[in-house]
Amino acid sequence: MSFEPKLQAFNSSVNAVTLGTGDKAITIGGQNVMPFYTFDNAVENTQKIGLEILDDENAVENAKKAESMQGVDFVCLHLESADPNGADTSVEDCVALAKAVSEATSLPLVIMGCKAVEKDAEIFNKISEALEGKNILVLSAREENYKQVGAGAGLAYGQKVGAESAVDINLAKQLNTMLSQLGVDDKSIVMNAGSAAAGYGYEYVASTLDRIRAAALQQGDAQLAMPIITPVSTESWAVKESLMPEEEMPEWGSLDERIIEMEITTAAAALTGGSDAVIMRHPEAIKTIAAMIAALN
Amino acid sequence: MAVKGLDIFKLSPKTNCKECGCPTCMAFCMKVAQGALQIEQCPHMSDEAKALLSDATAPAMKTIKIGAGDAELTLGGETVLYRHEKTFVSKNVFAVPVCTSMEDADVDAKLESIKKIDYERIGEREYIESVFVHGEGDKLVELAKKAAALGRAVIIETADVDAAKAAVEAIKETKPVLVGATKDNYAAMNEIATAAGIALGVCGDSIEDIYDTIKALEDAGNKNLIINVTGADIKETLKNAVLCRRGAIKDGDKSLGYPSLVKLPKFAKGDLHLQTAFASLFTLKYGSIIVMENMTMAEALPLYGLRQNIYTDPQKPMKVEPGIYPLNGAGPDDPILLTVDFALTYFLVTGEIERSKVPVNVLITDASGMSVLTAWAAGKFSSSTVKKTFDDFDVANKINNRTLIIPGKVAVMKGEIADKLPDWNVVVGTREAVEIVKYFKDGEHIKAAEAAAAQKADAPKAEAKVVDENAPLDFDKIAASIPEIKVVDMGVQYKTRNVESKKFVTIGERIHCISPTIKAAMDNMDPEPILKRAAEQIAAGATYLDVNIGPAESNGPELMTWAVKLLQENFNNVPLALDTANKKAIEAGIKVYNRENGKPIVNSADAGSRIDNINLAAANDAICIALCSADGIAKDNEERMAHCHKMLDLGMSLGMDSDDLWFDPLFLVVKGMQDKQMDVLNAIKMFADEGLKSTGGLSNNSNGAPKEVRPIMDSALVAMAMMQGLTSAIVNPCDKRLMETIKSCDIFKNNELYSDSYLDM
Ligand code: SF4
Repeated sequence: MSFEPKLQAFNSSVNAVTLGTGDKAITIGGQNVMPFYTFDNAVENTQKIGLEILDDENAVENAKKAESMQGVDFVCLHLESADPNGADTSVEDCVALAKAVSEATSLPLVIMGCKAVEKDAEIFNKISEALEGKNILVLSAREENYKQVGAGAGLAYGQKVGAESAVDINLAKQLNTMLSQLGVDDKSIVMNAGSAAAGYGYEYVASTLDRIRAAALQQGDAQLAMPIITPVSTESWAVKESLMPEEEMPEWGSLDERIIEMEITTAAAALTGGSDAVIMRHPEAIKTIAAMIAALN
Repeated sequence: MAVKGLDIFKLSPKTNCKECGCPTCMAFCMKVAQGALQIEQCPHMSDEAKALLSDATAPAMKTIKIGAGDAELTLGGETVLYRHEKTFVSKNVFAVPVCTSMEDADVDAKLESIKKIDYERIGEREYIESVFVHGEGDKLVELAKKAAALGRAVIIETADVDAAKAAVEAIKETKPVLVGATKDNYAAMNEIATAAGIALGVCGDSIEDIYDTIKALEDAGNKNLIINVTGADIKETLKNAVLCRRGAIKDGDKSLGYPSLVKLPKFAKGDLHLQTAFASLFTLKYGSIIVMENMTMAEALPLYGLRQNIYTDPQKPMKVEPGIYPLNGAGPDDPILLTVDFALTYFLVTGEIERSKVPVNVLITDASGMSVLTAWAAGKFSSSTVKKTFDDFDVANKINNRTLIIPGKVAVMKGEIADKLPDWNVVVGTREAVEIVKYFKDGEHIKAAEAAAAQKADAPKAEAKVVDENAPLDFDKIAASIPEIKVVDMGVQYKTRNVESKKFVTIGERIHCISPTIKAAMDNMDPEPILKRAAEQIAAGATYLDVNIGPAESNGPELMTWAVKLLQENFNNVPLALDTANKKAIEAGIKVYNRENGKPIVNSADAGSRIDNINLAAANDAICIALCSADGIAKDNEERMAHCHKMLDLGMSLGMDSDDLWFDPLFLVVKGMQDKQMDVLNAIKMFADEGLKSTGGLSNNSNGAPKEVRPIMDSALVAMAMMQGLTSAIVNPCDKRLMETIKSCDIFKNNELYSDSYLDM
C-alpha cells in the first residue's frame, strides 16, 4: 500500500479583510486551511507584519522610514502616552499625531490605544473621523467600550474595528457577535484574541488560536471567522529576557539578541497558531519573520 | 480507534462460564471494551479476539526511547493534533550537529558550546538534550565516541552502512539513534539497528518514498522507527511533518505514527534568526527532534520557554517549586512576600517586583498550582499551609526581617496567619500584581508592618496558642462553649424522608461562607441569616443542606457543632453535608448529628491530598463525596476512573458500603472547557455502570454565564446527567426551573409515581 496524503481544505474560510487604500492596501485572511498548510490548498493572502511605532517625538520620522523597511506591510501607531494614569496625552494631540503619521506614510495604518477603555473609545472615534476614507484599523474595541467604538469608528466612519478579548474564546465570539448586532459588517472586524510572550503563559494563546481556527474552519462558525491580528512586541519586549541588561546577567549574553530572538519566537508561534497579522518592533526580527512567511508560502 | 464490545463478543467463547467473574461473556466483553477489565481475565478467549483488541488499542503514535541512563529521552506517544484536545506528552528535543568534515578543534569547540546551555526553568532542566553526529568514513566512529562522552543522547546520521555499523558498535551502550535507512539500504541498516536494539531513522526523497521504506521495515518486524521529515525546503518539511502526524492521529495510519526528525541547518543557511523562527514553528507543529546549527542563550531562553508552555498539560497548570526566592538582591533583612505556586502568578508577581527594584524575598507556598483565590477556596492555601511552608523552609531562621506580605485577595486570612505565626507582622499586600510597584514605592508595606508591630506591643502578650492538631476533641467542652440553640418557627418544616428512596438527592449549596452574609453570621454565631437560607432551601425542596464553614481554622469544631445543632433542631433533623477542609470540625459536627433523615455527608475527599477524608467518613459511618481528581482536573476518563477506583478501594478496605461513596466527576465550566463536558457526562455513565453513586457541583457548568441563561443550562445538563445515571447534585434549590427539571426526570426514571401535580410535591 503506498502513501496517499489526505488533504484537508475546509468548506468554510477565514474572512478576508482589507486595510489601507491604494497600492499599499493589504488584505488579511481569506484562506480555508490551517496556517501555512499550503499543501492542503493554496493561500491567497500571506500573513502581514506591522511596525509598532511609539508615540514619541520620532513617531512621524519612524513612519516615514517604515515604508522602506524590509518586511513591513503596515504601520501601527501605539498611543501609549494617552493613558490617563500615565502622561495623559490629550485626545487632540493624539489625533494630530495620527494625522501626521498617516500623512508620512502610504502604508495602511493601525491605531493601538492605551487600554484605558473610555479614553480609547474617544481617541479611536476622533481619529477615525479625522482619517475617514483611509480604511484604518482601530485596536481595539473591548467588552467595556465596543458600543462606542463600533458605532463610531465602525459605523459612522467606516473604518475597520479590532475586537479584543484576553485569551478567552467565548468572549472573543461574544464580542464579534455583539459588534455584528450593532450593525458592524463582519468583513470589517479583525480579532485580537490576546497575546503573551513565549514562556509566559503562551500556552493559553496557543490553544485559543487553535480553537478559534478550528471553530471557523471545521465548524463553520461565522462569528469566529474574522482574521486575527496579534500584537507581539508589546508582550515580547516586556519580559525579563528582553529587559535585563547584559551587565546584570552576563551569562545571558547580548540584550539586543535576546530582544530579537524573543520577538521572533513569539511572532513565529503566533503565525503558526493562526495570526493573520503580527505587530512587531525590532527591524531584524521583522526582516526574519518576513523571510519565514515568504519561505512557507 | 475504539473497539466495540460486540465485536469482541462475536469472537468470545459465549459459554457464560463465569470464570472471569462476570455473569455472561457479553458483560465481560463490554467491560473489556470500556477498558474496565483486561481480556486476559478470561482464560478461554481466542487469539483472534486478543489480536483484535491489541490492534485496536495500540496507540496511534508509538513512544520511542532514545539514549540511555540519564540521557534517555522519550519521543512521540502523542494522541492529539491540538494540545487543547487533551495534552501533548513528549516534548520535542533539541540537537546540535557535529560533522566528519569539521576540523577536530571545531568539533571540540562545538561540543564544548553544547555544555554552556544548561539552566533551570520552573523545575525543568533546560539543555541541549542531544548531539547530532553526521558524515561518513572512519571519522564517524571517533566523532560518535566524543559526542557520547558528553552524556547526551546521540543521533548518528550516515548513508554509509559500514561507517554506521562501526559507529553504532562503538557507542551502542548509550542507545544512539541511527538515521539513514533509505529504500536502497534499509535491510542492512535495519540489521545494525535491530542488533543494537536502537531506533532507526528513515529517510527518503519524498514522503511517499519514506512511507514505502517504513512499510518494508515494519514487514521486517521493526517498529522502533523515527521519520526524517526534512524535505527539500522548509515548506516540504512542514508538509511532511503535518501529513505524518495527521495521518497517524486523525486517519489512524500507524505506519505514520513515529516521532519526527527535523534538520534546520539546511534551511537557515547560517541565518540563526531565521532558524529560531523555524524552530518555533516546529515546536508547535509536530517536530520531535529539532536539529539546530547551534544554540545560544538568546535562542534557548524563548524556545525552551515556548516548549515548556506548549507541553504543559492544559488541565494541570504549570507550577513553580515552593521555597524562598530572593529578588533584587534581597537578603535576610528584607521582607517576605507570600504567594502561590501557580506559574503565571509567580511570573506576574516577580516581574512586577523586579520592576519595583525593591529587595524582597518571595515565598512560594504549595497550592497545587492553583491561583490565589481558587487555592484558598479549595483549602489548598490556608494559614495551616502557610505555617507548613514556614516550617518546611525554616523561614524564621533564614529571614530576620519580620514583615510578611500576604496577597490582597486573601486578606481574610490575615488574622489566622498572625495567630499561627505570632512573631511576624502580617500585612495585606495588593490584590493585583500590577499594583505592586506603587505599593512598594509608597512604602505601604513598611507602614502596615509598623502598625502591626505597634498593635502587638499594645495588646497584652497573648499566650501563644498551643494547638495540638492530634489531640482528641473534648466534645463536652465544645458543646458547652457554643451559644444555646433556640428553636424558631421559620414557617417551613423538613418532611421526614425515606432514606431508602431512589429519588435524586439535591444538596442545597446556599449555606456557604463565601457569601458575606453567611460569613458574618458564622463569625458571630448569629443564627438568623443561616436559618433563613436553610428555610428557603427546604421550602424549595432540597434533600440535604450543605454547610460550608470555610477552613475555620481557629474554631472549626465549635462552629460546626453549633451549625449542625442549629439546623437539625430547627428543621426536623434535616440531613446535612459537612463541608470544610477542617477534619476536626467534621468530626465534631458528626458527633452531634442526628441520622433520622440520612447519614451525614463528608464534603469532600479526593484522590490526592484529601484522600484521608475517606478514613474520616469510614470511621464515622458517614457518606463521603469523592472528587475524581488529585492535583487539578483529570485529563480524561481513564484518569477519572483511576481516581474513582483508588478511592473505592480505600473505602471498601475500611469497611464502607460502596453506596456511601458518592463520586464527583467535577462538572466543568462551559465557558472555557466546553469540549470536555461530554467526558464528564460519560464518566457518570461509567460510575452508574459499575453500580456506583455520583454527585457534583452542577452549577459550575454555567459559571460566568448571564443570570437568565444559567437555569436553562443547569436544567439541560441535569437532565442529561440523570440520563447517564447521576444520583445526586449539589445545587441551588431556589432555581425553580432546575428543581422542576429534576422532579420531571425522577418521574421518567420511575423514581416517583406520576400525578398531575407532581411538581408541587
Ligand atoms: S471467563 Fe470467558 S468464557 Fe467464561 S464467562 Fe467470562 S468471558 Fe465468557
